[in-house]
Amino acid sequence: MNKLEVKGLSKIFGKRQKQALEMVKQGQSKQEILQKTGATVGVYDANLEVKAGEIFVIMGLSGSGKSTLVRMLNRLIEPTSGEIYIDGKDISKMSEEELREVRRTKINMVFQNFGLFPHRTILENTEYGLEVRGVPKEEREKLAEQALRNSSLYDFKDQYPDQLSGGMQQRVGLARALANNPDILLMDEAFSALDPLIRREMQDELIELQAEQERTIIFITHDLNEALRIGDRIAIMANGQIMQIGTGEEILTNPANDFVREFVEDVDRSKVLTAQNIMTPALTTNIEIDGPNVALNRMKKEDVSMLLAVDRRRHLKGSLTAESAREARQNGQALVDVIDKNVQKVTPDTLVTDIFDLIYDSPTPLAVVDDKDRLVGVVIRGRVIAALSSNANA
Amino acid sequence: MFNYQLPVAEWVQAFTDWLTQTFSGLFAFIQSVGNSLMGGVTDTLLFVPPIVMIILMTIAAFFISNKKWGLTVFTGLGLLFILNQGLWNDLMNTVTLVIVSSLVSIIIGVPVGIWMAKSSKAAAIINPILDFMQTMPSFVYLIPAVAFFGIGMVPGVFASVIFALPPTVRMTNLAIRQIPEELVEASDSFGSTSRQKLFKVELPLAKPTIFAGINQTIMLVLSMVVTASMIGAPGLGRGVLSALQHADIGAGFVSGIALVILAMIMDRFTQKLNQPTTAKVKKSAKEKKRHKIMTYAVLAGIVLLFAARFISSAMGVTKETVNLGYVQWDSEVASTNVAAEVLREMGYDVKMTPLDNAVLWQSVANGEVDASLSAWLPTTHGALYEQYKDKLVDLGPSLEGVQSGLVVPAYMDVNSIEDLSNQAGKKITGIEPGAGIMTTAQAAIDAYPNLKGWELISASTGAMNIELERAYQNKEDIVITGWSPHWLFSKYDLKYLEDSKKTMGEKESIHTLVRQGFDKDNAEVNAILDNFNWTEEDMESVMFAINEGDSPEKAAKAWIEENRDLVDSWKK
Repeated sequence: MNKLEVKGLSKIFGKRQKQALEMVKQGQSKQEILQKTGATVGVYDANLEVKAGEIFVIMGLSGSGKSTLVRMLNRLIEPTSGEIYIDGKDISKMSEEELREVRRTKINMVFQNFGLFPHRTILENTEYGLEVRGVPKEEREKLAEQALRNSSLYDFKDQYPDQLSGGMQQRVGLARALANNPDILLMDEAFSALDPLIRREMQDELIELQAEQERTIIFITHDLNEALRIGDRIAIMANGQIMQIGTGEEILTNPANDFVREFVEDVDRSKVLTAQNIMTPALTTNIEIDGPNVALNRMKKEDVSMLLAVDRRRHLKGSLTAESAREARQNGQALVDVIDKNVQKVTPDTLVTDIFDLIYDSPTPLAVVDDKDRLVGVVIRGRVIAALSSNANA
Repeated sequence: MFNYQLPVAEWVQAFTDWLTQTFSGLFAFIQSVGNSLMGGVTDTLLFVPPIVMIILMTIAAFFISNKKWGLTVFTGLGLLFILNQGLWNDLMNTVTLVIVSSLVSIIIGVPVGIWMAKSSKAAAIINPILDFMQTMPSFVYLIPAVAFFGIGMVPGVFASVIFALPPTVRMTNLAIRQIPEELVEASDSFGSTSRQKLFKVELPLAKPTIFAGINQTIMLVLSMVVTASMIGAPGLGRGVLSALQHADIGAGFVSGIALVILAMIMDRFTQKLNQPTTAKVKKSAKEKKRHKIMTYAVLAGIVLLFAARFISSAMGVTKETVNLGYVQWDSEVASTNVAAEVLREMGYDVKMTPLDNAVLWQSVANGEVDASLSAWLPTTHGALYEQYKDKLVDLGPSLEGVQSGLVVPAYMDVNSIEDLSNQAGKKITGIEPGAGIMTTAQAAIDAYPNLKGWELISASTGAMNIELERAYQNKEDIVITGWSPHWLFSKYDLKYLEDSKKTMGEKESIHTLVRQGFDKDNAEVNAILDNFNWTEEDMESVMFAINEGDSPEKAAKAWIEENRDLVDSWKK
């Protein structure tokens, strides 16, 4: 049975909703409807089914109605029409008490800006859901502490949210939802406010968590890469309507309409990819200043076995491997004596197809340098392959 | 159709009358409960020896300000100054008024603010009402306050609450509306009831802003203290008002400074309480426990204090209280103080309530005050007498041969009202607008054709005296509303203008009024007041002593010593 099922769900904001609903049925655009009636179409005729244990991603650009849709699933926003079934029960018809019970036990939410209560400690935030359910203090503290331990946040339990970094705050938001042990987890752009590195970590964590716990997760994002990474199935929304639902593979290979095609292409930009588009920041060592210890320390910290060697003005001088750095330390040599000066270089506007040939022969990443021979980034193998494979699809 | 004037004043009057009559039981109940409650608070505050209270407040300031010396020293010295100036009783009365008014404002204001935040419809209705409450001159509230609750502390609280309520309501509404949408959603999404959401999320987050509103409310209440003293609310405001009416700069400043000290202490205390406890460091369990113990200790202390006060007052002999109302004219200050001192000598507890003249008549009529020695009859207060004569008892004159009229310095060459043409800028410098002499002066302007275009300026008795002094020193023209006996006539060379049409009255008498039934309730005092009579010279000697710097009590006592025989004759 489907865990969650949505039938004909619509939300119109503002006045003259009936007229607006008629107009949207006739296929008129959001702007036209807004101009003529003053009503805004949030979501129109959404239909979807989510299976138990599935990570279902809803994606779309800003204003596509995805946040409105997810808020209708727990009725933070009242639907204008349509039905929402959780475990076969229509929550859109429920009384306030019944709805409260569903919110307390079945469906919890994680917010984009974390939604943590600034006047409560981490522990007090985490136990909030249990507190409003009337769980006795000792028990709810035990559950909340366990949830915090699972997210490695136990040591911070007596801190206040503003004393934590964004990533930690979001882990608290997640722990707060999980402490309730809900069947369904709604995540509204939960990772969008985090920086890319932490974001990736959180994605990994979520995938790991899902492997252990098998929860139904509705995940909202505007980032196709994030959707492809974590989603079992993806729904793409535009202008308040669902355009296509399918696995990541289906959506990439078989877009239902021009909009989805453009959307997918726009994100990976494969046809015009150059080195500039796929390069990542270079990990470097300044050989005029750094010694072998600094270089080794850096490698350790960044989890790599090789750095690019540059001078004070970021002119590329060569590459430095962990082995040669260690050698230099043993022999008391300067870095400049042990670097490999033979590094493959490309300019930022080199096409991906050209890079492919170069990188095939090179054991090290390709250095991207500007017209003054200054290092601007590197191209690593995985990125080229990814780019080329989507290129081949197109 | 533009000649038709809407009878708005009549409507309001009719509506107020209807309210007063319909809910008279309720109003009387509120008044008696409120009076005994506030009396209890004030008595309890006064039960603590001032020095002990000052020490306690200073210690509290020390801890509240996180052990900084500035507020501590200011609190200690400021309160000592007030005590030194003999204003301790007034201060405690003011504190009661402020505490009770603020509490009522909070109890009404915060829920209304919450309601506004939750319902846009409620906000749309309440907002204009708040505008109305805030901009309406606060004096206006005194009128229905007296009609509903008579004089004293209760109407003072009523007027203060109306005037001071809006900031608390507005800030509560604003604070709750400003809570980030996501936090409200988070609270909802976990299945909070609206109660849980309110107490666990909204109010804690809104607290700082609500406190800012409460702080403003307290400051507004303090500013109402002076206004409310016009309807008999005791406290520091009386000193300010009396100083204004006597143009006594020194006394006015002292009372004013005492108010400023109180305001600053209350402001700093509430602000400090509002600050987050030492920047978000979670209190250790030990600290929490200590806080709890301290709170209980303070509560227990207050309860003990109340208990001690009631036990001691139950054991003490309760003296009978006589409530004398008066207007703060120099003549009435003299007579009322003499009467009060005579009664005190006989063991009565005499309460003196300074009031506006019209309010005083009303208060005697509805039994709020027992007696008034300041009815100028038959002309000056004739209109008021007509209005209230059925509801009060006239004990007859206490001083005969008084006169009122238009008065000019002797150096002016006019001798009768008819001689006036364009002297003194066509202005008559008057006193308080509610005074009887102002009514008769206006009648004179209307009656004499040569006074067409003349203007009657209302101010206060003290302000008129200052104007006269300035004009007299510069030998300028001035026409004032004067009456005798008055020390002005011994200080300056003045003359009455002949009044051929008798609009300002002929020779009059000052009568003593008592409330209905007073002769039965307190026959002895009634008899003394009935016998009370003295001469123009007697009164002027007391007035002169007061004007020379003696306190009214001292001047009254001195006069009584010198005239023991006369006073004894009243007691028979």
